[in-house]
Amino acid sequence: MHISEGVLAPAVLGAGAALAAAGMAVGLRRLDYDRLMTVALLSAAFFVGSLIHVPVGPGSVHLILNGLLGAVLGWAAFPSIFVALLLQALLFQFGGFTVLGVNTFNMAMPAVLGGLCCRPLIRRGGKARLAGAFCCGAGAVAGAALLTSLSLAWTDEGFVQAACLLLAAHLPVMLAEGVITMLVVGFLARVQPDILSFSANSHG
Amino acid sequence: MKAVIPAVLCAVLLAASPTLAHRVNIFAFVDQEDVVVECAFNKSSKVKNGGIEVYDAVTRDLLVRGTTDQQGTFRFPLPQQARAARHDLAIRVIAGEGHQNEWIVGADEYPAAGTTSSPAPAQAAGGAPEPDRPASAPLAGQTVAAPAVSSAPPASPAGEALPPAAAAPLTRTDVEGIIRSELAAQLAPLKRGLAAAQESGPSLRDIIGGIGWLLGLCGIAAYFRRKQPHV
Repeated sequence: MHISEGVLAPAVLGAGAALAAAGMAVGLRRLDYDRLMTVALLSAAFFVGSLIHVPVGPGSVHLILNGLLGAVLGWAAFPSIFVALLLQALLFQFGGFTVLGVNTFNMAMPAVLGGLCCRPLIRRGGKARLAGAFCCGAGAVAGAALLTSLSLAWTDEGFVQAACLLLAAHLPVMLAEGVITMLVVGFLARVQPDILSFSANSHG
Repeated sequence: MKAVIPAVLCAVLLAASPTLAHRVNIFAFVDQEDVVVECAFNKSSKVKNGGIEVYDAVTRDLLVRGTTDQQGTFRFPLPQQARAARHDLAIRVIAGEGHQNEWIVGADEYPAAGTTSSPAPAQAAGGAPEPDRPASAPLAGQTVAAPAVSSAPPASPAGEALPPAAAAPLTRTDVEGIIRSELAAQLAPLKRGLAAAQESGPSLRDIIGGIGWLLGLCGIAAYFRRKQPHV
């Protein structure tokens, strides 16, 4: 869902950059020293996750993992995703520098919203935690597909067509992400509950 | 529960669609009088029915519009407008869902103007006009002799090469046409190889380098945000 250079109108690019900058500001303000390494680790997971293509039949699928970042990092998902996308644009020419703001916002905003909505469930533990993590993982991918379609609404493609295509294409990814977020959050809660420390204090 | 999760994952992965991609690759080259455009998301998935727009790179006039076939290729005759003006061609692929890329075909790749190869052989077969004869005679000798030198040992007599030259003298345009078509045939696989090299995805080295960058940035952030010891 990296939008390429030269597709979007300057107004959309500007709006995306402004929204991403606002999200970054919130994320950086809420990011404290103790969680820096978690942010970097998940940034690396996002960076690599979208590069590992699992060959399936004629094509291949790859993970996005923005839901996982939202569930664990909250607002700090913004700087985390921004840096990963910046490196992908720099090293692999995925997306581009002018669309970096739009792409960051499209990936990070649903992640943050998913995290905010699902954290109360994740905090409860047991089956509720698993359900919350699944919803966060799947919902963030769906949100990213919707926001990407919205960015494309002012191009030839139009919102409805882009949304149908993107949502249909990402349906399997949503399910896979839901399952993976569920497994990772469940695992972290058992093994390294510190990482999910948002329950203890108010930050993030 | 434990058995359900792998089953769900398998089902999900099997149902996956191949349209997910990071970027779309485009490569174009001049093949005699045509331009061939090849578009792919990666080595295995070509851009099928992707939109192609060809612009004059200088004036930005839209010259040709079309769609790719099932192999992700699109072929169009070199536009006369750009050819006459010696302007580069900017070829854009619009693969949908925000994927787009551009490739420039430089004017130096165009075949030289006014060297259409098809009428020349007909002219030669019907007997070359008088003024051409003196100029073409040494040329014809050279081109016919060249294969003899490369394929046969020097023992091959010159007399063997001469009769065809005498029967059908080749004009300069014939020779140029032959060389051009032969070169095109020889270079086509090379150009395809270049296209494949363009499409190579990120290597392991790039990925590990990226992770190194992330850790380094984290280190820098940690350095500047470390808790200052109260002295």
